[in-house]
Order: sequence, then C-alpha cells, then structure tokens
Amino acid sequence: MELKSKVHGNLNYKNKDVIIFKKGLFGLEEFEKFAIIELDEIKPFKILHSLENEELSLIVVNPFEIEKDYEIKLNGKIIENLKIKKEEDVLLYTVVTLNSNVSKITTNFSAPIVINVNENLGEQIVLDNFKYKIKHPVYKEC
Amino acid sequence: MLVVRRKKNESILIGEDIEIKIVNLENGTVQIGIEAPKELSIIRKEILKDVADENKAATNVNLDILKNLKLK
Repeated sequence: MELKSKVHGNLNYKNKDVIIFKKGLFGLEEFEKFAIIELDEIKPFKILHSLENEELSLIVVNPFEIEKDYEIKLNGKIIENLKIKKEEDVLLYTVVTLNSNVSKITTNFSAPIVINVNENLGEQIVLDNFKYKIKHPVYKEC
Repeated sequence: MLVVRRKKNESILIGEDIEIKIVNLENGTVQIGIEAPKELSIIRKEILKDVADENKAATNVNLDILKNLKLK
C-alpha cells in the first residue's frame, strides 16, 4: 500500500503495519488510523503516520533501544482494550520529540504506545509511576 | 461536583473499593492517600496535558535530523 505524505513523500506500508488507536493519541484524539513505517536510513526510529491526515506523523522508537531496562506493567484495562492474550502480542513504542540540537532529542518514557501486533490495536497509556520522564534524553552524551 | 469537608486523617469512600484519605495538610498542599483496585490507573491530571502537548510537539518531524545519527 502507498501513502502520500505531505511531509515525507510517498511511503510504503503493508496491511499488517496498520494500527487502530480507538482513543487516538493524547492531544490528537481525532485520528484513529496510523501506519508504522520503517525506513532504513532512520533505523532504529520509525514513522508513525496517520492514514487520515497526510500531514500528521510522529517518530517512535522501541524504548528498549534507548534503555534496555525499561519496563512497564500493563493493567487489566489495557489488556482487555487491546485483546492481549500473551506477552509476545505486545510491542512498545515511545514517541520521539526531535530537536536540531541532538542533546535535546527526547522520548516520552512516561506515555508509551502499547500495540497488540496480532489485533493491530494500539493505545497510548500514561504510567502512574514517577520513574519515567516525559522528556527522556535519547542520546546520553553528545 | 460533590464537595466534602474533611479533616486530617478522615477519609471518603467511593463505592466499595476506593478510599481517599487526607494524610496531611501543610502550606496549602494536601497529601492524599488513595487505596484503589490495582486495575485502576491513578495519575495526576496535569500530566495528561503535558503528554498531549508533547505529542503535538513531536508531530513536527524532520527526518534529516535522524538520518545522520546512529544510536550508540
């Protein structure tokens, strides 16, 4: 499938990469349908692009690429909402906020995106612990 | 909104499973103890706005910044 992005040009994605966010993302609640797009040149980062708005995209990263000890506990509600049956169903991403100053590139460890890859369902959750920051630096020393 | 007057160490119950207790009062700040079932998430309300603002900021994407960089 091809997506015409106003920002990134034409992007290719497969049906399995489409994620439905029934509640949208915080602050972007009106958009439900996104695709995860991998591009070699920005690995390990990925593009989360709206399929309903050709101008709307965010960068996401698997938080374990940044902090290998990152961990969250999923509560019963999210397991139910996303129809999660086993741990292998779950994929986590955190949203990356870019900055031309590399040391100011951050990722939101406090509000991860949880995806059930088997159901193509996703939800952004806000963690109720104080361990993780909204602006967690991506690059430790630069 | 229901408004209730409570003193230090007094509680209110919401349904059968949720207890909210005033633990301490000091200089205009209230310390609250909450007991609730694990499956309920309890978060400070202002963090929702912070997360919404951060998401919106993150929609400003310039891939060139990432193309030249690799994670260590």
